[in-house]
Formats: sequence, C-alpha cells, structure tokens
Amino acid sequence: MKEFAPLIGSFWYLLRGAGMTVLMAASAVAPATLLGILLALLQVFGGGPLRSAILGYLFLIRGIPLLVLLTFVYYLLPLTGIDLPPFWGVVLVISLYYAAFISEVFRAGILSLPQAQWDAARSLGMSRRLMLRIVVLPQALRLAAPPYVSLCVSLVKATSLVSIVGLWELTMASREVVERTLAPFQIFIGAAAIYFCICYTLALYGRHLERRVLLGH
Amino acid sequence: MPFDPHFIARLIPALLDGAEVTVELAALTMAICLLWGLLVALAHGARGPLGWIAGGYIQVVRNTPLLIQLYLVYFGFSMAGFGLSGFASGLLALCAQNGGYVAEIYRGGLQSVSIRQFEAGRALGMRRSTLYTTVILPQVIARVVPPLTNQSISIIKDTSQVAAIAVMEIMKITEVWVETSANTYDVFLGAALIYLALTSIAGLIGKLAERRLAFAQ
Amino acid sequence: MAGTLNDASSSAIELLPARQQRPILEITALHKRFGAVEVLRDVSLAVTPGEVVVVIGPSGSGKTTLLRCINLLEEYESGTIAIDGEPIGYRIEAETGRRLRMREREIAAARARIGMVFQSYNLFPHMNVLQNITAAPVRVKRIARRQAEARARELLAMVGLSDKVAEYPIRLSGGQQQRVAIARALAMDPKIMLFDEITSALDPELVGEVLAAMQQLAGDGMTMVVVTHEMSFARDIADRIVFMDAGIIVEEGKPDHLLFAPQSERVRAFLKRYNDRYRI
Repeated sequence: MKEFAPLIGSFWYLLRGAGMTVLMAASAVAPATLLGILLALLQVFGGGPLRSAILGYLFLIRGIPLLVLLTFVYYLLPLTGIDLPPFWGVVLVISLYYAAFISEVFRAGILSLPQAQWDAARSLGMSRRLMLRIVVLPQALRLAAPPYVSLCVSLVKATSLVSIVGLWELTMASREVVERTLAPFQIFIGAAAIYFCICYTLALYGRHLERRVLLGH
Repeated sequence: MPFDPHFIARLIPALLDGAEVTVELAALTMAICLLWGLLVALAHGARGPLGWIAGGYIQVVRNTPLLIQLYLVYFGFSMAGFGLSGFASGLLALCAQNGGYVAEIYRGGLQSVSIRQFEAGRALGMRRSTLYTTVILPQVIARVVPPLTNQSISIIKDTSQVAAIAVMEIMKITEVWVETSANTYDVFLGAALIYLALTSIAGLIGKLAERRLAFAQ
Repeated sequence: MAGTLNDASSSAIELLPARQQRPILEITALHKRFGAVEVLRDVSLAVTPGEVVVVIGPSGSGKTTLLRCINLLEEYESGTIAIDGEPIGYRIEAETGRRLRMREREIAAARARIGMVFQSYNLFPHMNVLQNITAAPVRVKRIARRQAEARARELLAMVGLSDKVAEYPIRLSGGQQQRVAIARALAMDPKIMLFDEITSALDPELVGEVLAAMQQLAGDGMTMVVVTHEMSFARDIADRIVFMDAGIIVEEGKPDHLLFAPQSERVRAFLKRYNDRYRI
C-alpha cells in the first residue's frame, strides 16, 4: 500500500484535472451534438451540392487523426491573429471532429425509421417541418441515443490528447505528478481509474438506454 | 506560406519514412488483434471467472484513454525494470485497447446471426463442429468485415498518439518539421494527405474483403 | 349520435341519383414507371361518393402503387387525379397544357382530405393512442385540443377501443392498432378513405375486428378504396370490385359478377388459384 503513497498524496490534484476534463468534454459535447443533428438533417434532406460538401467533410474527419487536427490548430491559431483562448480552440476542434461521427449516428437513426412512419405522417397532411418535429426526430433521437452515448465516452477519452499540445487536464496533471514523484505506474493507474469511473458510468447509462430502446420498439 | 517545391521535395521522403512506421505499427496491431480479440471474445463467452476477467478487461480498455495506456506501458514498465521501446510500447498498448474492441465486434457478429440458423442446422442433424464451420462461421465472417474495416481505420489514426512517446511515425515527424521550419501549412497538408491515403486504402481493402467474403445476405 | 360520421353530407348525397354525382375520386390515364418497368399503364378509375371500391389482383399488379399515387406518396409520370373536382399532386396549366407539380403546402392540404391506413408500423410508437389521433387535427387543421380530444374519444368508441385512450401502441394487439389507425385517419374528417392491405400483416384471429370496423365505416356512407386479399370480405363490403394485373385494370364490376362470372381469363385464373387455396 505504501507504494501507492505518491498517488494518494496527489489524488486531489488529479481530481482537479478530472474536473477540467469533464468541463472540456461537456463544453465540446453540446456544440458537437447540435452540429451533428444539423448535418444529419442536411444530409438526408439537403440538395446535391450540400450533400457532397458534407460527405467531403465526413471523409476528411474520418481519415485524419484528431491529434493532427489539434496540433494543426495549435500552431495555426497564433498565426491568424484570432484571439481565442487555447481552451476554446481545442473545444472547437473536438466539437467539429465529433460532430461528424454524431451526424452519422443520427443519420442512421433517421434512416432506420420504417417507411410507414413517413407515409403515415405525410398522409395525415403534415408538413415536412411538422413531420420532422413530432414524428421523425423524436423516434430517430431515441434510436440513436445508445451509439451517441458511446461517442460521448469516446469524446471524454479524446480530451486526453489536448495534453500533447500543452493544455491542462487530467492527463497533463498526471504527467506533472509523475515528473515530480517519479512513480509513473501508480500515478497513471490512478489517472486511468479516474477516467474509468467517468467513462464507465456513461457507458452504463448508454446500455440502460439501449435496453429501453429495444423494449420500446 | 509559399508553395516551396524544394521544401516539399525534402518533406515527402521524411513523411514517407514516418508512414512506413505508421503502417508497420497499424498492420501488426490489426494482425495481432484479429487473433487476440478472438481469444478475448471466446474467454468472455466462457462461464466462471475467465468470463468475468475477460469482461473486466474489455471494459477497462474501452473506458480508459489510449494515451494513458501508452504512458503506463512506456513509463511504467521502464520504471518497473523491463523498459520497452517506444514502438514496442505503442504496439502493446494499441493491441491491448483494440483487442477489447475487436472482441466486442466478434461478439456482435456472432449474436447477429439469427438463432434460426442454429436451429435449422441442428434440425438437419449437424454436429456442433459442422454447424459452426459450415453455417455459422461464414455468416459471422461476413458480418464482421465492415466493423473490422472501421476498426483498422481507427487503428491507423490512433498510431498518431505514439508520437507522445517519441516514435518516429507520421505525427512525430510532422511535429519535428513544424518546429524547425516556417512552412507549417505544407507540413500539415502533407501529413493529412498521407493519413487520408492510408485510411482510404484500408477502406478499399475492407470493401474488397467484404465483396469476397460476404455472399448474398 | 356518436356512432356515425357526417350525417349532413350523407343525407345530401341521397338526393341525387348515383349517375349524376360528381366523383369524389377521379383518376385519369395514370402512368407510372419504376426505372424500366411500367408499374401502372393508363389506369383510369372514378369513385362516386359513398361507393366502396375494392381492388384485388396478384402481387406486383400495381394496386398498392395506385393507392399510394392518389395521395402522392408515389410520384407518377403522367395522368391526373382529382379529389372532389380538385386536382391533387399535379395540375394541368390551362393555356399551355403543361403538367405542373403542386406546391408542398397544397399537396399537404390535399392529403389532409384523404385518409389512409397502412399495412404495418402505422401508429406513432412514441405517442399514446389519444396523442396519435389528435396530433394531426390539432397541428395541421388547428382544431382546439379539447375539441379534437372529444372527437378522438367518439371515434375510439366507434371502433370499440374507448378503454385504450392512454395506452401506447406497443401494448395493443395488431388488430387494435389498426383500429386506432382507422380512427386516426377519420379524425381528419376525410372525404375518402384508402386502405392498403391493412389486414395482411395481422394474425388471422385479429382480422375480423378490423374488417368489422371497415364494414361499419362503409355502412355509414364513407367513400372507400380498399386493397385487400380477403375475398369474402371484398364480396361483402364492395359496391364494385376492380381486378388489376400487370399495371392495368383488367376487369371491374359488381362483386357477384366479377367473383362468380368473370369475363376475363386472367381473373378466372386468379380466382381459381384463390378458390383452390381457400374454397370460398
């Protein structure tokens, strides 16, 4: 147990780091989700050029590592003269990155709706906007919820990458502690455990949603 | 940011060297995980402590960031006495994490084969080994190829994180060149293009495999 | 009286002899293609108010497609469809004779005057029965919620499901769901009701209750176009049976004529196959 003394001593510092991680993830999730839903709707209902643009965007995000994008923005931002705090810079990149994956999840949800639901709504004389609002989206969002929660877990883990471009959160905090205490094994296990608590809780919620979706349909 | 052909001429071989390492790392990871993931999936399906350990393993690697796993292996193991090189650490961590994901892919593939197939085979009097090899396995293989393709693309992108432990793959080389030259754009553009190329090739291989292995579903 | 529909319009209809009434539904020279295949070939059909037309035929004959063209759930290449004299979907411009697609708003308004019931996955699973029935009247026709709910309860009573008002579709049997679907379509006060094989996906023992609801509707004077496989039901409910095959109307006539003394060989072959299976 005494081997874990360095971890116990620094645990509070790591927890503060975890707080920053959660803050960062929460800040990125909201815009990512809104943008993701918008992109999904535009892809399903939009015209040719719009759809091609979105497909191009998805292709880029799918093929380029998040770390490359983060590093790129980290070097680029000072050069453009935009006065954006680094925190919001990385939150922006993470949002844009995950918006792509979230849009795919919602698009799948929308498309998996039985054709009869669209037909029934249209046959009742509903306009497209009304149909989306009260028939399609409520169901599509419910269907997409479990994989969406998985993506949220992935997003939380992705915040660890900002430590590589020098921002402070749990991973950076643990690196600092390791440098100080020279006990990488214990500290990184501690950090892993904290990440695990956050992510596993989310994952359990996702499985709960999955069960609810299966029962409802 | 002038388009400097001399710079580009020096940049490309350097990036290609990095790409070589990236491809090595990714390909080895995928190859090992195909087998390791299968073992984990089988263990997970077993009853008793083996099943629980496998289940716990999957949950731990899926809910902790790859970066922390990398640091843990690289710094932790060296502190404990058996130091691994950056490449070896990266390989170990990548296999550990993706083994968990691949195991879940196998499980999903098996579960998605309708129970009717089992019943039909047994009704025809097939022994379990025949049933699995001639009826179930081909269907599982067909269903498993698309998610495995996605996973391989994910692995290629994840290799970028081993830059954090000083492995000279694409991301690290990008970092070095960006630090030592003014042509930030060109370097990132080159890195992005190579990643896009690699992930696209992986995607194409996956599609080919799908066509070969997936008969009319 | 809470059991019947629009009493006023049915009594008005009785004043005119059938021949002189303007058709509620008029399909003229309908052509539809799916890629290279001609699914509907020069189909024309007129349905008078209060008439019940049953469409039968082998699968792939285009009967479902025809139904779906009426409220423009499917597009078609040429031909016109009019509901109570008003064109729906496409309009022919007076001077040029060009065929123009109507605006979405007009099409939606036209669809609101046509009721349709589908084969499966009809009801909105995330709403309960009352919400399913009142959603469109409240939001499309802007009827006050209390009024819409009162009407919904009337209609539920008519199909015998008063006690299911707050239930969610998943808790209802297939037959109950289809009856709610009928009530939902009726809540929009349509001029004509379309039924697309609504009992085909049901367990046999649940079919009867749905057919009974349709019988009652017919008895109340609703104009109906019904696509079905249920031959004995067709015989009971239809004023006219239409036989379609390979995209054209092969023969039509009164039930007893078409079912027992058909003129066309194709109809005979179809009915013979049916008789061999079911012995009606």
